[in-house]
Amino acid sequence: MVVAAHPLAAQAGLDMLKKGGNAVDAAVATAFALNAAEPFASGIGGGGFMVIYLAKEKKVTTLNFREKAPAAAGPTLFADKGEAQEQWRTERGTAVGVPGMLAGWNYALQKYGTKSLSQAAARAIEIAENGFPVSRTFSTINKDEYEKLLKNAGETTCYLNGGVPYEPGDTFKNPELAKTLRLIGSQGIQEFYKGEIAKKIVAAVRAKDGMMTLDDLAAYAPEEMPPLEGTYKDFTIDTVQPPASGGLHIIQLLNVVEDWPLREWGHNSVATIHHLSEAMRFIFADREHYIGDPDYVTMPVPQLLSKDYAREMRNKIFSEKTAGHYPYARFDELLEKKENTTQVCAIDPGGNIVALTQSINDFFGTGIIPEGTGFLLNDHMADFSTDPRSPNAPNPGRRPASSMGPLIMFKKGEPFLALGSPGGTRIFPSLVQIIINIIDFGMPLDEAIEAPRFFSDSAAGRPRPISVESRIPEATLKALEALGHKITIKEDYDKYFGGAQGIMILRDKKIIQGGADSRRDGVGVGY
Amino acid sequence: MNRRRAIKVWLSSFAFLAIAAWPQAQSPQAIFEQPALITSAGQSADVQLASVLAKRAELKANLSKLAVGQDLENHKTLMLVLGASLKGLGAAGLDTNKERERIAQLLVEAKKRNIPILCLHLGGDARRGQLTDEMISDYLPFAKLAIVVKSGNKDGLFTKICKEKNIPLVEVEKTTDIVGPLKAAFR
Repeated sequence: MVVAAHPLAAQAGLDMLKKGGNAVDAAVATAFALNAAEPFASGIGGGGFMVIYLAKEKKVTTLNFREKAPAAAGPTLFADKGEAQEQWRTERGTAVGVPGMLAGWNYALQKYGTKSLSQAAARAIEIAENGFPVSRTFSTINKDEYEKLLKNAGETTCYLNGGVPYEPGDTFKNPELAKTLRLIGSQGIQEFYKGEIAKKIVAAVRAKDGMMTLDDLAAYAPEEMPPLEGTYKDFTIDTVQPPASGGLHIIQLLNVVEDWPLREWGHNSVATIHHLSEAMRFIFADREHYIGDPDYVTMPVPQLLSKDYAREMRNKIFSEKTAGHYPYARFDELLEKKENTTQVCAIDPGGNIVALTQSINDFFGTGIIPEGTGFLLNDHMADFSTDPRSPNAPNPGRRPASSMGPLIMFKKGEPFLALGSPGGTRIFPSLVQIIINIIDFGMPLDEAIEAPRFFSDSAAGRPRPISVESRIPEATLKALEALGHKITIKEDYDKYFGGAQGIMILRDKKIIQGGADSRRDGVGVGY
Repeated sequence: MNRRRAIKVWLSSFAFLAIAAWPQAQSPQAIFEQPALITSAGQSADVQLASVLAKRAELKANLSKLAVGQDLENHKTLMLVLGASLKGLGAAGLDTNKERERIAQLLVEAKKRNIPILCLHLGGDARRGQLTDEMISDYLPFAKLAIVVKSGNKDGLFTKICKEKNIPLVEVEKTTDIVGPLKAAFR
């Protein structure tokens, strides 16, 4: 089974399984196909994280192919840009981190897959060449990012339809991307990191005032790491380590909610939304203070993940009012532990599983396209802090903190759930809501994913409003306001809250459930 | 002419007059003058699109996403692009209240200067939602002409308001189809 944010991409993965590929082959084939079919959300110009479960060895490993800051990047990169800061962080060449996507896919295929890069890219090439009818999601996002595309990609780009946004049903083709993928398939990833494509990337970035060099690209390497682990009731969670903060915060938030009577309070009740929102605000305070690239920054990961800390946090949350102030946690000793966007989950007949989250950050990334290549460059440097003193400040070769958190959950040692989502800072709160919908509220996977979501955070110790999907009843919102919360109402199925994809294995019933999110164009396919 | 036929002719004439009284036409009259000031009501990216389309229509037009009353100086038409985007509002540093204040002030100034308003809705049905609909209801009544992509009028909201206020309404199939009527609307 394969679940992904576009039917063509999910089918690409399933076709790979049917040709004898394993879950890693399928995930990479799907990932390539997403570049062609959902180019605004991920692609070879970006980066990501992967969790892999190897059924024979009963082992979980993770891959970190997050972008890196160029060697010339420094802590004040964005600090002195004044009012134009946002543009420098998201639309100029300074916004582009050294892409890790291809290096990550290639590593995964070579070490854990059975197919070649060329075989994995084949279906993506067909999609890019033949084109497909654009969905309402694609059209809406295309319209939202029109100005950026006009400025950086130009009026003749294939990402616009004759210089104007695509309407639903228009055909989108990307022959330049097809040519690029064909070249990479035949020449290998060195073409991207050291060859002609590398030169085009550097030229495009520097033409927009960026600082990336050929050496930056040549030096890029992904990292394989053991998973970050946590528990929730009878379940074990394996997820990615920082700089992906999503996994860490998922475990943190589940630790906090574990002892709350969620079932008694009820799904999306005032009590549930209030308590979880308060916990989110405390966790964001920790995130703001502690999260960075663990290769350079020491983080109190064991303390943040401890059940003791979760208990302390619960004690700071009141039932009858908001806490009002959300300081980060202070620990006596920092123990060293190494250990936005689209989502793919795949399971093969052998029981191997992959949960993969990948992104180019904002939709359509920077809008910068290396000449003639057809792919978009990321704006993941925007995930660095603009505060030079932050542990997440830009520095040479550092990876910006990420909100991604693909995960695999186990019950009594057997895989139970593969899950992940795009959605920036909303990723971990959304995934926790899906998990408690399944485990505490007994929902099947699809219902758990489709259920209305909410989100809150804090900044500099101050609470931000609770954002809710409009399906949450007005009476609940009024009761939350009475507790002291401010509320922002979003659309009924708002992609602001992510686009989760998941696979759930019900061993006792011998059923595999695929869950896709209608907030994006998600679909699950199996055989 | 027998009685039945006379009634049919009479009813047809009545219907023709009723429709003719509300000028829905694919080719609008040239009632606007150049240069036009293009601005957004709601800060969606459609305002940028309007600027591109105005250029294709060979119109003299200036884009100012955050235009205020004094920006109407040296302009003869106000082109108001209806479409709300929370992302656009955030990027502009505005909330919905501040955006409403800006547009209200702009409309007052346009009236003072006798500057007619042309409303556009370019996003189709994907650019309809509670906030956009409120802006349509609030600002479309001030227009002298409305040009919209047809799918954005599926529920007849534009038709209803334009009929009530006797505003000519031009519907086009696709965004690029707006160029013709837009050009024809200007002297």
